[in-house]
Amino acid sequence: MRKALFYVPLAAFLALSLFLLSGLFSDPRDHGSALIEKPLPAFSLPDLQQPTRLVTAADLKGEVTLLNVWGLWCPTCNAELGFLTELRQQGVRIVGLYYVQPVDAAFGDTFDINTLRLDVQDKLAEQGDPYLLNIVDEKRSLIFDLGVTGAPETFLIDRNGVIRHHHVGDINPQNWPKIQQLYQQLQQGGSDAP
Amino acid sequence: MRLNGLLLSVLLLALPASATEDLLQFESAEQQQLYRQLTAELRCPKCQNQNIADSNAVVAVDMRNKTLELVRQGQSHDEVIDYMKQRYGDFVHYQPPVQLSTIWLWLLPLLAVLALGWTVFRRSDSSQTAVVGHADEQPDHSDLDAQLQAMIDEATAANRQQPKE
Repeated sequence: MRKALFYVPLAAFLALSLFLLSGLFSDPRDHGSALIEKPLPAFSLPDLQQPTRLVTAADLKGEVTLLNVWGLWCPTCNAELGFLTELRQQGVRIVGLYYVQPVDAAFGDTFDINTLRLDVQDKLAEQGDPYLLNIVDEKRSLIFDLGVTGAPETFLIDRNGVIRHHHVGDINPQNWPKIQQLYQQLQQGGSDAP
Repeated sequence: MRLNGLLLSVLLLALPASATEDLLQFESAEQQQLYRQLTAELRCPKCQNQNIADSNAVVAVDMRNKTLELVRQGQSHDEVIDYMKQRYGDFVHYQPPVQLSTIWLWLLPLLAVLALGWTVFRRSDSSQTAVVGHADEQPDHSDLDAQLQAMIDEATAANRQQPKE
């Protein structure tokens, strides 16, 4: 009994070390998403190409979709465009959710969707256009309802408009295989999947 | 003592740094108090360990604005926390919920205290039984004193019986 007690501090120390060691390999940005297995929140936001047309959650249903939160102001998103374009060529359906940063009215900044459309057109012509369409979230309302913390972030949405995966950070050739697996599962699941 | 005073004055200097609140209008002092409490309790999901009152990340600013909006609508503390949790998850509140995965936060300290108490108890118990008779507790010296006295008496008696040669 005494001998066993002698090893307790050592065991506790080792357990603590292992716990802290595992922390070194964890991603501090990864703290789960509250929206997994929940339907896409209701929204009605303008399409970047035709601002008079309002896109709703129903428009995304029917096919497995990647909803990619991005913005021209975000360097990682721009770096991601090339790879996402490759994915589009492979047949992945990608919808952009444009993250508009707050404008500082005090500095005379204003938001103009037409200027944005032209800027985005230039950028996509240069880097590749992965998007079927772009939803512009000027007030970040859908972005807020989705629990987006920044850009880029990507949601995997199934045929029924249910969020199946929330990826924080860019999608690249290293992490795509994991997401692709889920994507293919959902595609094969058929339209009768729950 | 002087060092304490110095530290305190440095800490007091740091107070205004966290009090960067814009000029906000509230209907009542309660709402203002609630807003202050909520922005201190809600954690910025983008930053590493800052509350939303303390951060100027876009998401923290948006969360502050939403908090303000909800507080002005007259929502309670728990309603606002739930609203945020539905979107940003449990991570967003500094008070973790009691769940199967978080129960160890409460159980572990309790178990540690119990285990420690048990060890201490066992230890004092066994030392009492094992070390009885040794000079561990206040030993009773009257026995030894009596023995010593007897030896002295014996020696002096022997001395008397053997006069000088």
